[in-house]
Amino acid sequence: MIDRLERLLNLVIALRETRRPLTAAEIRERVAGYGQPDAEAFRRMFERDKADLRSLGVPVDTAPLDAYDDRVGYRIDPRRYDLPAVELAPDELAALALALEATGMAQDAGAGLLKLEVGAGEPGAVTAGGPADVRLGVALEAPHRETLLDAQLHRSVVRFAYRPLGRDAAVRTVDPHALVHRRGRWYLVGRDHDRDARRAYRLDRIAGDVTVVSGPDAFAPPPDDVGVDDVVPPPDPAGPETAEVVAAPAVAWQVARRARGGGQPAADGWTAFTVAVGDPDDFAFWALSFGPELRVEAPAALRADVVARLQRLAG
Amino acid sequence: MSRRPSTLARLERILTMVPWLLDNPGVGVDEVEERFGVSRDELADDLDILGYCGLPGYGGGDLIEASLVGDRVTVRMADFFARPLRLSVREAVALLLAGRAVASVEPLGESDALRRAVAKLEQAMGGQTARVALDLRAPGDELLPALRAAVADGDVVRLVYRSASAQTTERDVEPWALVGRGGAWYLQGWCRQATAPRDFRLDRIRELRPTGERVAVTPRPAVPPVYVPGPDDTVVEIDLAPGAEWVAEEAVVDDVRTVDGARRVRLRASSLEWVARLVVQLGGSATVVGPQALRDRVRALAAATLAGYGPKN
Repeated sequence: MIDRLERLLNLVIALRETRRPLTAAEIRERVAGYGQPDAEAFRRMFERDKADLRSLGVPVDTAPLDAYDDRVGYRIDPRRYDLPAVELAPDELAALALALEATGMAQDAGAGLLKLEVGAGEPGAVTAGGPADVRLGVALEAPHRETLLDAQLHRSVVRFAYRPLGRDAAVRTVDPHALVHRRGRWYLVGRDHDRDARRAYRLDRIAGDVTVVSGPDAFAPPPDDVGVDDVVPPPDPAGPETAEVVAAPAVAWQVARRARGGGQPAADGWTAFTVAVGDPDDFAFWALSFGPELRVEAPAALRADVVARLQRLAG
Repeated sequence: MSRRPSTLARLERILTMVPWLLDNPGVGVDEVEERFGVSRDELADDLDILGYCGLPGYGGGDLIEASLVGDRVTVRMADFFARPLRLSVREAVALLLAGRAVASVEPLGESDALRRAVAKLEQAMGGQTARVALDLRAPGDELLPALRAAVADGDVVRLVYRSASAQTTERDVEPWALVGRGGAWYLQGWCRQATAPRDFRLDRIRELRPTGERVAVTPRPAVPPVYVPGPDDTVVEIDLAPGAEWVAEEAVVDDVRTVDGARRVRLRASSLEWVARLVVQLGGSATVVGPQALRDRVRALAAATLAGYGPKN
């Protein structure tokens, strides 16, 4: 369909370069490729071309011809068509190329990187990313990612069934503000309608589908401070900040990494460490991963929690 | 034989390629072929079509001048295509997501350039992007710089490694790639002791030493899954309470179904020891269905751990 490609290019050029919007009749008359068919054939052809250009992101606007003429015409505003000057340095472009490869997102980025390379110095200055030695692909496969990103961009409200840890699923209605990835998990951060407060939801605890339940622009742009901190459980003010543990020689090196310190010699060649606790559940999970080769000494509540877990298993 | 791209895909390519050709008059065909993934014939077709495009009137001076002379490509008289079409939302989101993800892993050493790039992109998009924040730090990631260099150069590394079943071994590994998934980093490579592809979790690597030996960096084999089940594996069944269900996504699982409100997973394990350790680690959120040997091992391991806490606990 070479004719069609040529026609589309000519349409983009004509609509970009016109001083005032062009009517459909003017397009039919002036733009190469639209001349021959009858009125109905032209209309169908033009509608399809317009829709296809918009699907590529070409901003084909509909506007009144002028202040005194309310017939509508079409034009492309060059300011909305043109990629603004981003001016990325070669090392920045190279890093982006690597990031796309590493995350497996090169396909999603489409021509994005090539567009950004226009005007970035000499040909050959930027090397496209080869096969990456680092891969993060799986980590980026967020459940419901497409729906939630779309809803976020269009500021549409979403609804889903959410099953918090150890509780029954309940329906939530949320203004999606951001997607956050932390330590292998994806979260949606947004305003919960029923609670009228900002909440974080783990995407893997959403049961079933996410439904878009409003039109676009249903809520105000969210504040700028959404970030990773929104999904970190606030430290329990009553909970311990650190714990005392002792580790056997076989695992002392692993514990030392978490403790970020050398530790003190303890009985039987073991080593005593002070480690940060963070989330108490995560801490117990970590401590038990060492089996008999690590013991939690203090605080008493954490020690008792670990012991209780073991008793359930040994019982 | 490459599939002929659709008209729209070609249009998109031309709208991306022309601004770059305007910027680089007389550029070599090879460079264009490589950069835009076109063959010489396809490029010649595109340039031919461009020669019929221009401002309405389509007389001399209105049409684009596009030529392929010898091995040189030149496009002129196309000032209306001086800039590429702005990034689509999808393109921008992908670039920002990828940039932020890799930037969040400081030891990779790409963070500075990526942060600058991401900031410039965000500013250029003027708020027309999704908000995505990432934190991909994981234990053991301080080994990434050394291992990345080893992967790039094909340096065989010697690991002192403590496996999930608590065995400490020394292994020589031909490194292929580094993979971040599920909150952990893995080194993938050929393990000479196992004579098989293996994944090593970075936080279990106790020591990392160069062997001085270098292997050819060839096109890498397809990435093996984190665990490749073998013919001698034992089949085990575990019930996972809510909260422990992530295990079903992390391990190589044969079957998952719901029994009495719990998720019953069936998986294959090369050693009962790592499954037993996992069950103990889950501290009661996981219950062994079978085999009996696994149940016994879990009980023994829990009892041994408990013994460390003294007779009165």
